[in-house]
Amino acid sequence: MDLSSLAARRTTVLAVEVPGWSRTRCALEQHARTRGWRLADSPADADLLVVCGRPGARLTAAVDHVWGQLPGPRARAEVTTADAVPAALDRAAAELADGTVQRRDADARPADPDPGTTATGDDGEMDMGDGDMDHGDMDHGDMDHGDMDMDMPMPGGIGLAGGGGDDQLADPDSLDLDVLHVPLGPVLPHWPAGLLLHTTLQGDLVVAARAEVLLPADDDSPTDPPVHGTPAGRWDAVATLLALAGWDDSAVRAARVRDELLAGGQPPGADRLARRITRSRLLRWSLRGLGRLPEGDAHDRLRHWLTGTEERRSTELSTVADLVTGLDLASARLVVASLDLDTADRVTVPVEAGS
Amino acid sequence: MTVTEVSAGWVPVAAALLLVVAAAAASLDGALAARSAGQPLGGGLLTPVAETARLFGQRRRTTVAADLPLQRIGTAGLLTAALLMVAVVPFGRWTVADLTVGVVWFNAMDVLVWAAVWLAGWGPNSAHPLVGGYRFLAQALSYELPLMFALTAPAVAAGSLRLGDVVAAQSGLWFVVWMPVAFAVFCVAVAGFSVWGPLGAPAGATTAGGVFVEAAGVDRWLLSVGRYALLTAGAAFGATAFLGGGHGPLLPAWLWLLVKTAALLAVLVALRRRLPVVRPEQLAAPAWLVALPLVLLQVLVVSVVVVVQA
Repeated sequence: MDLSSLAARRTTVLAVEVPGWSRTRCALEQHARTRGWRLADSPADADLLVVCGRPGARLTAAVDHVWGQLPGPRARAEVTTADAVPAALDRAAAELADGTVQRRDADARPADPDPGTTATGDDGEMDMGDGDMDHGDMDHGDMDHGDMDMDMPMPGGIGLAGGGGDDQLADPDSLDLDVLHVPLGPVLPHWPAGLLLHTTLQGDLVVAARAEVLLPADDDSPTDPPVHGTPAGRWDAVATLLALAGWDDSAVRAARVRDELLAGGQPPGADRLARRITRSRLLRWSLRGLGRLPEGDAHDRLRHWLTGTEERRSTELSTVADLVTGLDLASARLVVASLDLDTADRVTVPVEAGS
Repeated sequence: MTVTEVSAGWVPVAAALLLVVAAAAASLDGALAARSAGQPLGGGLLTPVAETARLFGQRRRTTVAADLPLQRIGTAGLLTAALLMVAVVPFGRWTVADLTVGVVWFNAMDVLVWAAVWLAGWGPNSAHPLVGGYRFLAQALSYELPLMFALTAPAVAAGSLRLGDVVAAQSGLWFVVWMPVAFAVFCVAVAGFSVWGPLGAPAGATTAGGVFVEAAGVDRWLLSVGRYALLTAGAAFGATAFLGGGHGPLLPAWLWLLVKTAALLAVLVALRRRLPVVRPEQLAAPAWLVALPLVLLQVLVVSVVVVVQA
């Protein structure tokens, strides 16, 4: 067995879900798992970029940007139906193993990292989640002082993160940490499809947030039925929340239950897994009190998914932005996951929260 | 049992041994992951080899305006700290460095990890790794002080900071028997400085991989190996300071140390998959209000026992 075939056993896939194509993403996760592959945490971690669905213009721009961040050897694929996933993965794996293709790809790439775009744009400008350009806020208060521009070196041509600038807000710990404008999503694992959350961070505290959903292409719609609102959809939400909570073992098992339900089977271990998840004290401690809504907090919602007693409700994007404002990044991610947003049926009106 | 210092020529052998045990831990983790994914265990056992092949074939990447020197120092720092940690751990009758302040040395190396993880997070000039760095420091503030006092207990009981003496003092009774609190706190702290399991938030999914986010190729390999090496070094130190080191019937001393280290390491690896991650800000209260007083009480008990026996 040579090195490249050994490496192929651990092929790492970055999945991008376009709103509406959750069924395709579930199939992708299932096939990756049965091949012994891994799902990537970030673009730098990935060998394959697989887009599930047909993204619209802004989402396409984001995906292209992320594509530039894969270190290489790399391959990309686009699938629109669950049935097409195995063939697409085979093709991508073959491309990954093809030395000639990879060398040509490497030669064509710029030597320096792509600086990306600014975090300010609502005008079709794009950002992605795990960017190396997260300091790119060009409308920052400090930048207006002409003399500072002259004297201060700007590393990589990007504005310095501001401390004590115009958008510095009162910090509960009086630390006055740097203000960063960090877009979360739309390409981010364990994150609602197409959701773009413009956040303003002080340290790791979200002090302001604005949410929008990036749309799929106009001329295409998914053929597979949606996963949301079905028992499989509930287990998908469980798997996402547990993966974020760092409980890998139960997250993978929840995903397996989801996939068996999608295949039309009756997963045998579901009840036992549900009991195990509900009983975990550490998990309850970690989720208790997060994302409090009238009907309960994140842990209550998790329990409802597990027992199948949840009420279908639609969370407004403004609620999402409100809930995460004032939280640290970890809690914010858990809260968003606990809402189990269905971004497929959403309009793209940006909503703001925070000050 | 006396411990002799071996010549510097054995240092590469000691380093290789650490890496082999660390690879075994990664294999176990891969096998457990394969089991929960419903996949054959064999593929999981190959994880460290396959991942090494993948990452060695992958291009490194840089980010815009990265602080490369600091990033590289941080990336290599984890493995370096782990290697320096095991230098003072006696392998049966032999040790690479028979320091009179071995326990303090181990503690100093674990503080070195603070700098390494922070620099690995700071270097890429990217928000998620930076948050990972912040989190590590927040978490370290919680586990470090309890760890320091937990390390004090075996040193007080042995009346020496030299690890050879600590092992010799356990010829009758292992320290874990009468210092269970110190041992428990120590194990949690090992998970802490290895960014592991419940204390893995600095590299957790909520920051898309934290300090790992921008690392590719050999950089990612170094970070992952460093994490496993720290875990292994922590387990080896725990086996030495609390589980009697090389003491045991029949088998030679070095084999006993290896068996105990492997057992403790296996428990740490298995626990990772069974427990969710604790958010760093939640850790502070129990660490300072429960663990710290308890471990101080433990040191007091140990001190009283030592005085009474004398």
